[in-house]
Parts: sequence; structure tokens; C-alpha cells
Amino acid sequence: MHPQNRTPMVLTGLAVVFIGLAAAFLSDSWGYPAPRAKIPLVDKAILDPTTVRRTYADLIRAKEDLSDFDCYACHEKGQPPPLRYDENHKLLIPEEHVNIVMGHGSHGRNNNCFNCHNETNLTTLQPRDGRELKLENSTELCGSCHGPTYRDWDSGAHGRSNGYWNTKLGPAVKKDCVNCHNPHSPRFPGRKPAPGPHTLHGTGEVTHTPESPSTH
Amino acid sequence: MITAARNYLVFLRRCARVAFVGDWRYYSWMGVLTVIILLGLNAYAKQFAHGLIVTGMSDEVSWGVYIANFTFLVGVAAAAVMMVIPVYIYDNEELHDLVIFGELLAVAAIIMCLMFVTVDLGRPDRFWHLIPGLGQMNFPASMLSWDVIVLNGYLLLNVHICGYLLYCRYQNRKPTKWFYIPFVFSAIIWAVSIHTVTAFLYVGLGGRPFWNASIVGPRFLASAFTAGPAIIILALQIIRSTTHYRITDKALLTLRGIVQVSMIINVFLLVCEVFKEFYSGNLHVASAKYLFLGLHGHHALVPWIWSAITFNLIAMVLLVLPVSRGLRYLNVACVLSIVGIWIEKGMGLVIPGFIPTPLGAIVEYTPSLNETLVCFGIWAFGLLCYTIFLRMSVPILQGRLSKANEGISEPGPNDIVAETSVTSHS
Amino acid sequence: MPAPAPHDPLTAPDAGVTRRSFLRTSAVLATGLAAVAASLKPLFEMEDITSAQQFMQKYYKELTPEDMAKVLQRIEGEVEKEYGVRPHVRDLRPMDGVEFVYALNLSRCIGCRKCVHACVAENNQSRSPEIQYIRVLKMPHGTFDLEKGDHNYASEQVPEKGFFYMPVQCQQCHNPPCVKVCPVNATWQETDGITVIDYNWCIGCRYCEAACPYWARRFNFTKPSIPAERLNPNMSYLGNRPRSQGVMEKCHFCVQRTRAGRYPACLEVCPTGSRKFGNILDPNSEISQILRTKRVFMQLKEDIGTNPRFFYYFDV
Repeated sequence: MHPQNRTPMVLTGLAVVFIGLAAAFLSDSWGYPAPRAKIPLVDKAILDPTTVRRTYADLIRAKEDLSDFDCYACHEKGQPPPLRYDENHKLLIPEEHVNIVMGHGSHGRNNNCFNCHNETNLTTLQPRDGRELKLENSTELCGSCHGPTYRDWDSGAHGRSNGYWNTKLGPAVKKDCVNCHNPHSPRFPGRKPAPGPHTLHGTGEVTHTPESPSTH
Repeated sequence: MITAARNYLVFLRRCARVAFVGDWRYYSWMGVLTVIILLGLNAYAKQFAHGLIVTGMSDEVSWGVYIANFTFLVGVAAAAVMMVIPVYIYDNEELHDLVIFGELLAVAAIIMCLMFVTVDLGRPDRFWHLIPGLGQMNFPASMLSWDVIVLNGYLLLNVHICGYLLYCRYQNRKPTKWFYIPFVFSAIIWAVSIHTVTAFLYVGLGGRPFWNASIVGPRFLASAFTAGPAIIILALQIIRSTTHYRITDKALLTLRGIVQVSMIINVFLLVCEVFKEFYSGNLHVASAKYLFLGLHGHHALVPWIWSAITFNLIAMVLLVLPVSRGLRYLNVACVLSIVGIWIEKGMGLVIPGFIPTPLGAIVEYTPSLNETLVCFGIWAFGLLCYTIFLRMSVPILQGRLSKANEGISEPGPNDIVAETSVTSHS
Repeated sequence: MPAPAPHDPLTAPDAGVTRRSFLRTSAVLATGLAAVAASLKPLFEMEDITSAQQFMQKYYKELTPEDMAKVLQRIEGEVEKEYGVRPHVRDLRPMDGVEFVYALNLSRCIGCRKCVHACVAENNQSRSPEIQYIRVLKMPHGTFDLEKGDHNYASEQVPEKGFFYMPVQCQQCHNPPCVKVCPVNATWQETDGITVIDYNWCIGCRYCEAACPYWARRFNFTKPSIPAERLNPNMSYLGNRPRSQGVMEKCHFCVQRTRAGRYPACLEVCPTGSRKFGNILDPNSEISQILRTKRVFMQLKEDIGTNPRFFYYFDV
């Protein structure tokens, strides 16, 4: 074909291609991000700063019913309740207190009720120095054995305060031992972790890291 | 004054006309480039509308193929001007023509660099925040602010030099030395600086041990001076065959010499880097492991880097052997060098810096379709610019487009009127 | 070599322009322009085109108090329009004589990730795509090699035996690499030690994200999506107001809380009290006492020289 005739053909061809391109653009058929896997909103309970336990002091503050803590509704004044053990010297929990699971210390080292409770006055606690502590001041009791932890708690290194770091602007509420630790079985319980991270691309599955098995 | 302005406008109008008019081959080439540019423009429109989520980047690998291309092209822009050095040692008027082709390539490359950086921004509408005076520029602390200054300065420098020399040739006037010689020498120093500043972008990051190494700067320059002149060798042959502008093989062989030495240095620096990473076995080797060997079952880049190394080694051997004095082998060596260095400096530098993340996680990166289209679009735009620049400058250098024949005729594609040859002293 | 053709329209500019060739050229031009216009179609689908006021907004440090009041009003209006909730946006300034430091008790952290999600809720982070300032690493005993960390553990119970858990967030370094590299000064450190970001100034180049040795910074790859029912309306300009597409964000020690004297959200929700925060310039603060008394505490990646204001310590 004569070179002179090619130019008009090429130009016409270009015009056609441009129209096709314009149509392709308007059809929007490529290039958009793949729809992301829906990541469910996290359970609101995870966002809750309330401690795992409510203390006796909390109940008093909230003016709640304290009848469960009225020991002498069942026990007799002046009569220390007897402790019973099985053949392995393991403390037997009476069925009235079946909700108490003893686990204070490894190998059950501190499973004697009256190490902490005052057998002559069940509504109080007894640290070893002869004092009688009210139930709402149990922190002093814990500290009488767990000295270093108590020292840390006092300075703020152990436990948690909520509210204001700048106490001139507002109160800081320090949590007590029993806000987090069950006094009968103080080891902090494990829990299910909240959901892990999701990557931007792919199926929304989590980051590939060395320790986790490859998912594809 | 007014006549000078009028003359300049006529000159520009004639240049523009020459750029838009051609034969069927020209229209086909420019048509293909335009289609690719439009695909890229559309892809960028999607990115502008929806954000960078349309790319393959993520918080783990937050720079990708845009910055990889930017890094490669800064090197090309720097090296394009380095040809000036051997040329200006020999005070030959004709050699200036070769320099102009190199500087025009630098201009096209810098335009592409600026475009790649712009498409990478999350908020390009806020570009004015970078302008000193109007916005805030964190100079001298931020290497990116240095980069903005040196790249734009380099662009202006080269546009001035080419524009001035071409306009003087158009007017058949001898250019005044003071109007371009100081700028040319500045451009030589500036070329080294643009690439060093770009290298320092990476080197300065203490939290990324793969980049925080003193070898990165020298490697950048060595690889730039390999890939840049290689591109020019190929470009000159294309100019020669499409416009019949006489470029002697001697000129090409001078450039071959530069590519040869630079490639040898580049390969040596690679050996240095590999030894340093793997010999001592310390913990900072993770990124290098990911790149060369794969890490914890992730090895997307391993075939790429080994291909690049293979290409570079073959190219080096070819360049060292006299067989590459023949153009066919030289061209093969050039293509292999360009591809090898693009991989090594682009994906092979940017991506491993992010894998593993500073916290040890591995999330791999693949450019998305959109990202790829934007890249092709910008490359096509750069080629379009360079084609237009050559289309304007070749007739001027050949004397076919000059003040003397204003209003008489425009040079057609197949006109052979006066020829100017380009030779090179060995 | 072909001689120039006598009727070649290229060599005779004014003669030889036939109607056909003119129409053809115009057709190419017109279709070309149509293709350009069509290629820009996605731009017309954008809902969130920046307003003139947003575009022209000055740098944070150059805003006068009147400017800032207007900006805050504008932001409140924007958030109300978007989420249907009118927030209260303040520009809280650093307090005098305060430098914040954070400490984390690695003996106590159980890896429950409550801090991660409390932070997301407090600071109005995008839920999809997911942005979380805090990343908890599950580390095997006996090593600090972060490559051995597991980011996406999903065991039935935490803590798991043989592991410890290390949350990482912005360390508010004394010598912050992110501040050094930002080309437009969109991120800087304030006098109370918090490194902040002016979200309306950031250009989204992500250099800071590359520079951070702790992977603490996050980028909005698209418009963030926050469920309106979980929006936290107590906002601050440099803190938890909703961000836009294309800008960076990161942990800012809950400026909207801490500069009002309160604890950050991550600390308040931690069930084991592993997180400690306060004013290091006050010798009686919790944080001062911890750093005085604990024998073993450390900074992550100390060798890089960032000098973080974040310390990890051990009790037991």
C-alpha cells in the first residue's frame, strides 16, 4: 500500500480506538478494589473497663444488698466453725460455701480459712499482727503477707488506677486487690483474647507471621 | 523586545506543529502511547477517587512500584547528563548535539519522576504545602524536601540548557558561552546530587537495616551510570534509523565504555553487599534473606532478583568482551542491563526494605492492575515527551527547521536536506 | 530515499487541506478528547471532594485562635453531616511542666488485646479498612527478637505458657525519625512529649511510615469507615477527630484525655493493670516511682537512638 494512503487509515483507526476506549472507560469494568471481607464490629464487652470482680467495698458504695455477707445468719457467735480435711489433708469445702474454690498458693499452701478470716469474729479479717480488719479493707490483709506487691500497689506500679493522672483535675480511683484477684483463688484467670489484626488486602485474613501456619 | 518575543512564539508554534504532524508510523506510535496514557489516566482517576487502596500497598509495604520507578528514573535522569563530561573535555561544536539528546532524555525522565511521586501521594491536592514560602518545607532535615528542590532545579537547568542551545541553533546564532557553560557544569554536579539525595532518602532511615547501609549511595550511582547510558545507546540508534540523523558508531562505543565500567562496579558492589549481609549471620539480615532466599515460606521476590543478577552478569560479560563492539551484542547487553537494573533498584531495593516490618511481620506486596496501568501510563507519557522533544530538536540540529526557512516550508518526515554528523573522539 | 511527494500535505501547509483530511483530523481530535473526558469519569463519583476552606487551611502552628475556632466549628459541622452526631472538638494545648512517659509491665500483660480495641473505639479509628494503633506481639520466652513474634495469635486462653505478650504502639521518641523526615512538617513533637500530626496538613507521602522503627504509623488508604453508633464525640484537633482519605495517623497518647488530666483509654481498660502512664517531671507520679524502683526496664530498639518515652519493665 502506498505510504500516502496509510496515514488516513491510521488516523481513522485511531479515532475508532479512541471511541472504543471512551466506551470502555464509561463501562467501569476494571480497576476497582476487590470488596473487602466484612470485619465484624468487636463485642462491646471488650471495651468495658470494669474490673473482673466487684469488691465488698464496691457493694457498700453501690448500696447493694449485703445479706450474703451476714455470716452470723447461719453461724453461731462465739463458736468458731470447724474445718474438715480429707485423708490427703485437703480442705473440704462445706456445701453451703460450695461457690468458694480454694487455690491460694501453689500446692495449696494457704488453704486454711483462718489464715485470713477471723474465727472468733467472722465478719472481720485477721492479719498476723493481731489487728482485726473490716472486709472492705482487705487490701491491708493481702499486704501483710505480700509485702513487695503491696509496696508496688501503693506506689502505683501494681494494679490499676482509673480516672485522672493529674489528681488536681480529678480523682484517681485505685483498684483494690480483690477487684482483680479472687481472694480464695487469687491467680488471675486466663481469658479468650480479643480478635487479632486484619490486613488491608487479600481475604482480610491476618498477617502472615513466622509462628503462625500459612493459610494458603 | 516585542520582535524577540514574536520570534520566540513563532519558533514555538513551528516546533509544536512539527510535533503534531507526521507520517503513519509517527501517528501509530503516538496513538499507541496516547492509548496507554489514557488507560493510565483512568486508573489514576480511580485512585484519586478511592484512595491508594486500589494499589497493592498496605501499612506493611507502604511504598511500591511507584517509588521503585521513581528511584530508577532519577538514576536515568542523572546519568543522561553525565555524557556531558567526555563531550565537554573535547571542545567540539558537533558533540553538543549528542549532549542535547542526553539532556532531553533527562528532562523526560525527570518529568516521569515528578509524576511518579505525585501519583504516590495520598493527598496530591495538598502539593502546595511543599512550596517554600507558601507552605512548610522541612529543609534541611527532611531528605524528601531536598529531593523536591534538586529535582525541580535539575528540570529547570536542563530545560534552560536545551532550550537555549536549540533556539540559538534555530536562529543560526552562536550561543553565548556564559548563558550555558556554567549551567552545563552545574548540571553535571547537580546530576550527582539528585541521585545521592534520592539514595539518602533510604540510607537515612535507621529503623530499616536493609537501607541503612553506606553502600546504597555508591550502588545507586553505579547502577544509574549503567542503565542511563544504556538507554541512550538504544535511543541514539532509534534516532539514527528514524530521522537519518548521522550518529557515528564511535559515539555509541564511547557510551559503551561508560556502561562497561559502571556495570563492573555495580556487580562488585553487589558482591560486597551480599558478603556483608550473609557472612556474619547477625539478626539484621532478614530483609536480604527475604530478597535472595525467601523468608519463612515467603519468596515472591527470589526469582526476580536472581533473574536480575543473571541479566547483569551476562551483560557485564558481553560488555567486557570485544564482541559487544558489534551493535547487535551491544544492544542485547544494554537491554539486559536496563531490565536487570530496573528490577534490582526498583523492586529489589524498595520492597525488601519493608519485609519484614520493623515488628517482624511479613506481608507480601504485588502491584495491582490499577497500579500497573498508572505506571505504564506514566512511562508512555515520558516516551511521548521524549518523542516530541526529538521531533522538535532533530530538525533544528539538522538545520531543516531554522529561522532562515520561516514561512517557506515545514520539514516533512522524509526530507533529507542538510545533515549534521555526530562523531566522538576515541 | 523517497523524494518529498508534491501533494504531501505536510510540506505545503495551506494548500492541499481537503475536507476529508480536515474531517479526519477533527475526528481524531474529538474522539481523543472524548476518551480523555471518559477516562476521568471516576472523579465525578467522588463524594468527598475537598472544600475550598479545607484546601486553603493554614498550617496548625500558623493558625490564630480565631482561625482555630473557625476550623473547629467547621470540623464539628463536617462530622455532624457525616455521622449525624455533633461532636465537641477542642484544641487542647500541652500543659506546662508535663512530659508524658508510658511504661508497660511485661510480667503482667496477658495479651488479651482489650487495649487495642479500646483505643480503636476511643480514637475513632477506621473499622474497615482496619486501623489499630496498638499491635500486641506474642513472644516466646527468652528472646526479644521481634521476628519471632506472633501477631495474630488466637489461642483459646491467654496467657499461654512459655510466652510473654508485648504491645507496641507509638513510642513518642525523644529523637523521632518520623518528625525528621516529614517534608511538610505535618508531624512534630510538642512540649509534653507527644508527637502529633496535623491531619489537614499531611500530604500522604508515607515517608514517616517508612522511617518509623516501631511500625507505629498508619495510613488511610481509603476513606475510613466508622460506625456512627460507636463514634466518640469527645474529640480534639490533634487527636481523635475523624481523619480523611490519604493522611497519616498514629497513637497520640489520647491527647483529648491526657491533656485534660485523664488516663489514656488503653490504660483504663487493661484488666491486669500492666499499663502505667504519667508525668515524668513529677517525682511523685506513678511513672517516676516505677522508673526509679524497677531494676529491669528497657526501651525497644534502643540501639537506633530514638530514645523512646515508652519503657517495658518486669516485676516477676
